[in-house]
Amino acid sequence: MKALGNRKCWPLIAVAVLAMPGAAFAATQGTAGSTSTGSISISATVPGRVQLSGLSDVAFGTVDPTVAAAQAEDVCVWSNTSGRGYTVTATGSGTSNAFTLSDGTNTIPYSVEWAGSSGQSSGTALASGTGLGGLSSTATNPTCSAGPTASASLIVRMSAASLQAAVASSYLGTLTLVVAPQ
Amino acid sequence: MALLSSDTGSFERGRHRNRSRLSALPAIRMAACALAVLNAEPASAGDTVRISGLSDVAFGSISNFAGDSVQSQSLCLYSKSPPANNYRITASGSGPGGAFVLSSGSATLPFEVQWSDSAGQTTGSQLLPNQPLTAQHSPTGAGSADDCSSGPGTTASLVIILRSASLSAAASGSYNGTLSLLVAPE
Repeated sequence: MKALGNRKCWPLIAVAVLAMPGAAFAATQGTAGSTSTGSISISATVPGRVQLSGLSDVAFGTVDPTVAAAQAEDVCVWSNTSGRGYTVTATGSGTSNAFTLSDGTNTIPYSVEWAGSSGQSSGTALASGTGLGGLSSTATNPTCSAGPTASASLIVRMSAASLQAAVASSYLGTLTLVVAPQ
Repeated sequence: MALLSSDTGSFERGRHRNRSRLSALPAIRMAACALAVLNAEPASAGDTVRISGLSDVAFGSISNFAGDSVQSQSLCLYSKSPPANNYRITASGSGPGGAFVLSSGSATLPFEVQWSDSAGQTTGSQLLPNQPLTAQHSPTGAGSADDCSSGPGTTASLVIILRSASLSAAASGSYNGTLSLLVAPE
């Protein structure tokens, strides 16, 4: 309080206030005259966000156990971080989130790969629950409804060995994917 | 030769005509400049305008990228320029060349500006940087206070729009910018 009361400090205080980062710019009102000028500040915060869309169910149909099966699909991942970066983490519906399909009794393991661009038939293998980082998106729209129509590829595989070891039946499972800004 | 003389004579006459035109050019230019000045100046020396009641626009944290973010405000635009009390308004942003952009470091976020010469509006005529929007009317004038403390409390609307596409394309960050509004009587 004593310092504030000292007039010698006022210029320093004024400089300090002006130098404060993010100091608010107050609207200025015009004065009456042959012209008049007013001004306002405009501010907005764009939070870091990601969105995953364009996913389709994977149906292998009836598979030949002697041949490995694979299905790839294009998906849309949008990220608005400065580098458009994101991480992706996958979990399956098997025991301890394992990547397995089940007929209620028997299981078939499958593998999951991710590519950071669309149109790919192979990518980096994902481990259940472990994030894959260092990815960046080219999407400019959260659902790819404008700009690139897809920005990543999801690949699901079942090896011939797994198919040959499986009991003939119908198998079902779910795969959950989580993307996060990076 | 006759043809050549005739042609030469015609050429000379043409040069004289051109000289006459050239000598008239400064006068024409002066007249054009005078007209331009008259056009830019108030119709009367007593004409007065004032813009007031402006508020800063804070969009806060954007949560919806699927839709446009819009903020509008009513303000006081006083114009005493008989007989119609009309005015023109020119806006400029803090981007390069007066562009309407917010910035966050090197990242930018464009915005749109609309103006209505009625209060309480959420849409209006689109303003472009440094381009006047003409023939705007104010219900104020002689007998009104230039800060709208008497007469209509507000007379115009300013609308700021962050388009969904721009928000989706923008990198995350805190964006800031300024908008200046210049009004002149008509």
